[in-house]
Amino acid sequence: MTIRGRTAISGMAELKPLIDAGGRSSMELLAEVAALAIEDAGLKKSDIDGLLLTPPAEGNGFMWPAQMAEYLKMSPSYINMVELGGASACAAATRAALGVAAGLCKHCLCLSGGIWDPQVFNDQEGKTAVMSKAEMEYELPYGPMGFNSAYAWIAQRHMYEFGTTPEQMAKIAVDQRQNALANPEALFNEQALSIEDVLNSPLIVDPIHRLEIVRPCSGAAAVIVSSSEIAADMPQLPVFLLGMGEACSHNSIVYSDNITLSPVKDSARRAFAMAGQGPGDMDLLSLYDCYPITVIITIEDAGFCPKGEGGGWVESRDLTYRGPLPLNTHGGQLSFGQPSYAGGMSHLTEAVRQLRGQAGKRQIKNHRLAFVNGNGGVMSTQSSLILGRDRA
Amino acid sequence: MKEREKESIKDQEDRSLSIQYCPTCAQYIFYPRALCPHCWQGVPEWKESSGRGKVYTYTVVRKSYLPEFASRVPYIYALVELAEGIRLPSNIIDCPVEQIRIGMQVELAWVQGDFGFIPVFRRIEV
Repeated sequence: MTIRGRTAISGMAELKPLIDAGGRSSMELLAEVAALAIEDAGLKKSDIDGLLLTPPAEGNGFMWPAQMAEYLKMSPSYINMVELGGASACAAATRAALGVAAGLCKHCLCLSGGIWDPQVFNDQEGKTAVMSKAEMEYELPYGPMGFNSAYAWIAQRHMYEFGTTPEQMAKIAVDQRQNALANPEALFNEQALSIEDVLNSPLIVDPIHRLEIVRPCSGAAAVIVSSSEIAADMPQLPVFLLGMGEACSHNSIVYSDNITLSPVKDSARRAFAMAGQGPGDMDLLSLYDCYPITVIITIEDAGFCPKGEGGGWVESRDLTYRGPLPLNTHGGQLSFGQPSYAGGMSHLTEAVRQLRGQAGKRQIKNHRLAFVNGNGGVMSTQSSLILGRDRA
Repeated sequence: MKEREKESIKDQEDRSLSIQYCPTCAQYIFYPRALCPHCWQGVPEWKESSGRGKVYTYTVVRKSYLPEFASRVPYIYALVELAEGIRLPSNIIDCPVEQIRIGMQVELAWVQGDFGFIPVFRRIEV
């Protein structure tokens, strides 16, 4: 028995990312976006009986799902936290589909986001808070720069093995900025970028420049997953969950057998197999983008081009919403911003918007099928989704 | 110092590096574990590494938020592949940042850092 098409995204909401949350708490942002999502879905609070959360952006994470359920005064029959790093949001949608399809809940709310605390990631305490014991013992003494240096390692090796160029990587930031210019909700949506702008921004960890690094910020997003039968009678056009696939091959990139080959190869293959679709059938790419190299490797490993040819693929195409196969039409995290774990949900909410036909100025012409990919850690955990406007 | 770390660099006095090896499946193991992660059967043994390897990948850190490293930029943060096949995160010393390349042959060296006496790698002149 497959769960292909048995569930659909029936509601969603997203707050505009902000650098400064203005003194609001993560719980406030999550409550606001939850209320907007049920309004979007045409549901009442009492209809929501499933609650899945990504980890908290601040404070004490102990019993986090219960903390949040209490704050929202909910008593869900299906409740959990999903921790797969940046893949958590897509993985939450998958787990929501499982819970709904199994009859454990009827309408499952997936909540993600929080405030950005400048402390986190920016000093040693923040750095080490996200490090494993092995990373503390065997990496920290050598001065790593967190995710920046790990992805720099991958980019450097990809350039060495396949001849990928700095210009090809910069093109992703440039095209995604074009998309952001058409997105009033994006954090960076006022000024276009050129490849020269990106390559002239300071080199932080070779070969990654400042304009190729996500900007952490505050925000929140939510999706509601319901059964396809029920979703068909709800106000919004249902966006069906046709394919889901996950994979994990390491935590620290040190322990990946081949750092230019990611577990997207397996997660995407599994998702496409469930959906009965292939890369050539997709109308939209919504891919986790903490750095451009993440996108290049995801495109290759999901099968949109042969291995090693991702650089040339992005160079030769218009990746904007005007192009033949648009990428990250909301601007991606590089221009939309990365509001904690909700950065990974932005790829999902944008795909829902596009498939519904609600993307406004940046609406793509063909919007039947989308490939969405969540990436956690350093190409470590992957959650791939195939979303469709048609159930079959 | 943690027990495991102490064991893995127990030979620091004579400047050698011990790494784990599984006698059951004949594979090297890094980082140290109590049970072989490859076969889940073997109990790892310690073997002396050749100390030779090559740069598998690297980055030059131009800006560091870590207070211990802020004054050292730019420095080379690399992943070194030992002749035994395992890869170690490390620094490449005595190499100008402009000259670092993937594939560069390197050998073991030991330095006193802010986090203790640690194995790093030095370019082998060829």
